[in-house]
Amino acid sequence: MKLECRAQKMWRIGLAAILVFGAAMARAELLIRVTEGRVDAVPIAVVPFEGAQNAPEDVSQIVQADLHRSGQFKPLPAEDMLSRPRNESEVIYRDFRVLGVEYIITGSMKAQETGGYEVSYALFDVNRQVKLMSETYRPPVSQLRDVAHAISDRIYEQLTGIPGAFSTKILYVTHNRNDKNPYQLQYADADGHRVTTILRSKEPIMSPTWSPDGRKVAYVSFEDDGMPGVYTHDLATTNREKVSSFRGINGAPDWSPDGQKLALTLSRDGNPEIYMLDIATKKLTRLTQHYGIDTEPRWLPDGEHLVFTSSRSGGPQIYKLNINDKSVRRVSFQGAYNARPDVTPDGRYLVYVHRRNGNFNVGVQDLQRGTFNIVTRTDMDESPSVAPNGSMVIYGTQDRGTGVLEAVSIDGRVKVKLPSKEGEVREPAWSPFL
Amino acid sequence: MRSFLNPLFALMLAAALAACSSTPTEDDSSATDDMSQQTDTSPVTPVEPSTPSKPDTSSIPLTADNFYNHPSNYDGTTDSRVIYFAFDSNTVPAAAFETLRAHATYLKNNSNAKLRLEGHADERGTREYNVALSERRSKAVEKFLRVQGVSSSQLEIVSYGEEKPAAFGHSEMDWAKNRRVEINYTAGRP
Repeated sequence: MKLECRAQKMWRIGLAAILVFGAAMARAELLIRVTEGRVDAVPIAVVPFEGAQNAPEDVSQIVQADLHRSGQFKPLPAEDMLSRPRNESEVIYRDFRVLGVEYIITGSMKAQETGGYEVSYALFDVNRQVKLMSETYRPPVSQLRDVAHAISDRIYEQLTGIPGAFSTKILYVTHNRNDKNPYQLQYADADGHRVTTILRSKEPIMSPTWSPDGRKVAYVSFEDDGMPGVYTHDLATTNREKVSSFRGINGAPDWSPDGQKLALTLSRDGNPEIYMLDIATKKLTRLTQHYGIDTEPRWLPDGEHLVFTSSRSGGPQIYKLNINDKSVRRVSFQGAYNARPDVTPDGRYLVYVHRRNGNFNVGVQDLQRGTFNIVTRTDMDESPSVAPNGSMVIYGTQDRGTGVLEAVSIDGRVKVKLPSKEGEVREPAWSPFL
Repeated sequence: MRSFLNPLFALMLAAALAACSSTPTEDDSSATDDMSQQTDTSPVTPVEPSTPSKPDTSSIPLTADNFYNHPSNYDGTTDSRVIYFAFDSNTVPAAAFETLRAHATYLKNNSNAKLRLEGHADERGTREYNVALSERRSKAVEKFLRVQGVSSSQLEIVSYGEEKPAAFGHSEMDWAKNRRVEINYTAGRP
């Protein structure tokens, strides 16, 4: 275990935290259900790939689930298909047109002597009766799921014009108080599979976030004698660095778009303020100056502004900060409680937690039009995080008293539930494109 | 709008029960204490330790709204280690004054004793904002002790927000139990 520590406090390897090496696969995968799709979802048919039944992963099933989970597509069940073409020559468009299907995906999986698989697929437009695209991959067995998500990404982009985000990952905190280490930091594929635990601790882990290149994560951990520190953590090497452990709050890290700085909350000067930490030089710049609470900073894509939560007007509201002149301007005006903002990759929408009638929901503010919409109907929603293609927001909420993750499209029309089998799941952070 | 216990009424309750408030209660906040380490050096030793009798607080119904200021939560000695707060508030409740004065006296008489004040919030609202709110609670308790003359070198603050609940349910009463500052001796425990 290589630990770098340039923080003022000497590193103490607390028994509180145990690093997990390599890819420790947990059994508890997230099971995903689409609870609400678009009424105008595009009917498609993902024909079971030839040879997929005998393969360790059924790529056609993964592709179908991905496209379904986006809410943009309505897959035709295989048992309803009038014919099951294996390739272009077997496609009978009429069989699908009578069922209202607009696109067909066919494919095959062939075991290779080298141990891997050859995976081919083709996408057909039923109305125009043409092949839109076809590709072949030769992955090892361990990458079959990656290839399936890559195919979903390609098809999604071909049909919607928006890059797919199926090959991304979700980082989140789990809490299971019956576990020896109740607090765990994990990530999984965007479909909930292949869970990897990267940190287990007896003390809280909070506010996980990705570096812009997706190679590192930052988070708050109370592992050091119950006191908070902000850590960076390289996922491949498991090298960790405690970058902030000042007196008081060390919280809410967020990586700058260029990957060189962290915005974070420190109360070292008396009360919570937003700071900017240069990761390489350790230079610390204070950005806010107010006796109210300032916290939960999030960079805007331009790298020149942050949005954050502040109580300077009484209750929490969202403010925008220019990091060069440190000027601050209020952004949210609806209701008495707006907090924990995130921003879409194009900078157009803010998503944040909004309280209405005692309920906490995810709201979306269009910064261009100035409109604001509540897009969830659950209660106790928190920690919204936007997918790197801007299509969906994943957030934490409660289902019968247990913390679960749900996702909703930016327009609120698609809702997806990701229930966990054991313990609480919370604070999801959607990775950048990997 | 949620109704809170009238502060004046709460003060009267606290005063009315002051006579018996130094008697140990079944307050489970002391359940985490290691009894073997307890010594009799406390200047506010309970008067009748052999016959602990609960103060008669049965006439005051314990509700989520008055929980933070309910006399049954505070015994006026250093045995009480949890201070509760009203919703969205960082005001130290009057019912806890005597307990905090007992801690202050102990700390002043035992300069080796050190406290960690752990601030907590209920689960409503966003997590980092709740960390900030819970810091305000520990700071309020810190300020109370400082005003009593306790040295800042004996006090340390940590803010957990909603991350370490005492009660795991989701009712108003669970939330009332979670809005708290825990007083943890890291050295020189009474």
